Amino acid sequence: MIKKGDIILVVAVSAMVLVGILGFNFYKNTHKGVRKIAVIKKDNEIIRTIDLDNVENPERITVEGKYTDIILVEKGRIRFENADCPDLVCVKTGWLSEKGDLAVCLPNQTIIKIEGETEEVDGITY
Amino acid sequence: MKTTKKLVLLSLMLSQALVLSIVESWIPVPVPVPGVKLGLANIVTMVIIAFMGTADTIILVILRCLLSSMFSGGISVFLFSVSGGLLSAVVMLVLHKKFSKIFSVVGISIAGAISHNIGQIMVASVIMKEVSVFGYLPVLFISGIITGCFVGLCSSFLIKALQKTNIFNN
Repeated sequence: MIKKGDIILVVAVSAMVLVGILGFNFYKNTHKGVRKIAVIKKDNEIIRTIDLDNVENPERITVEGKYTDIILVEKGRIRFENADCPDLVCVKTGWLSEKGDLAVCLPNQTIIKIEGETEEVDGITY
Repeated sequence: MKTTKKLVLLSLMLSQALVLSIVESWIPVPVPVPGVKLGLANIVTMVIIAFMGTADTIILVILRCLLSSMFSGGISVFLFSVSGGLLSAVVMLVLHKKFSKIFSVVGISIAGAISHNIGQIMVASVIMKEVSVFGYLPVLFISGIITGCFVGLCSSFLIKALQKTNIFNN
């Protein structure tokens, strides 16, 4: 029942996955040890940039929109703590702590991602 | 096939696809990545592709996306589901019509699942103006292989059973 094309397809896709994962790891390991900057975007606009290494006290950020997302920031990590969107994929993603980590709330169009910063950052920008 | 019969069969298929997508929303997904899902409604798409024409398939996919996004709310939901749905329907149609010698129903279904994910990620990156969502593609490809395999097996059993019943013959 399984034909030749099926196997070729699965092998080709697996190869692409492998290349993708390798490339992503390569990106993660470049400039390792630099500052971790968390970027929160809502509706294509950056609403907050946080230097995760400089967070002193845990903070909750509420992002209002079609739904409400509550983001929790601690030293070195950030996560969607709670949301009232239907699928809760963002909350289930859990903590983001490494460069390249990404959490998306599609229903509310909110994104948290962690970028590495090679240049010196003066501080926290709002 | 008579027009009335065709109309009834297509409506029946549409309602089944809708029920399947509602049932699917009850099944929890173990991976916290947007876009990972079983794709049960694809069983119906596969059956239509096997028994009916190109135009019927495309119309059915658009109607399914329209109605299911009405249930779960919002124009952005519709954009996501219709982009993935149409891309996967076109890919599956081409594979079935032109390359069915080298692809079985399982392979076609895997290709459909993967192109569904590609379509959704493309729309997501455009809507959110964010390229990094493409980082989800490796996970989505793996889940596409698994779910596509499952959906493909279901569809091939269903297609065999339906061929015996002669419902789709004149």
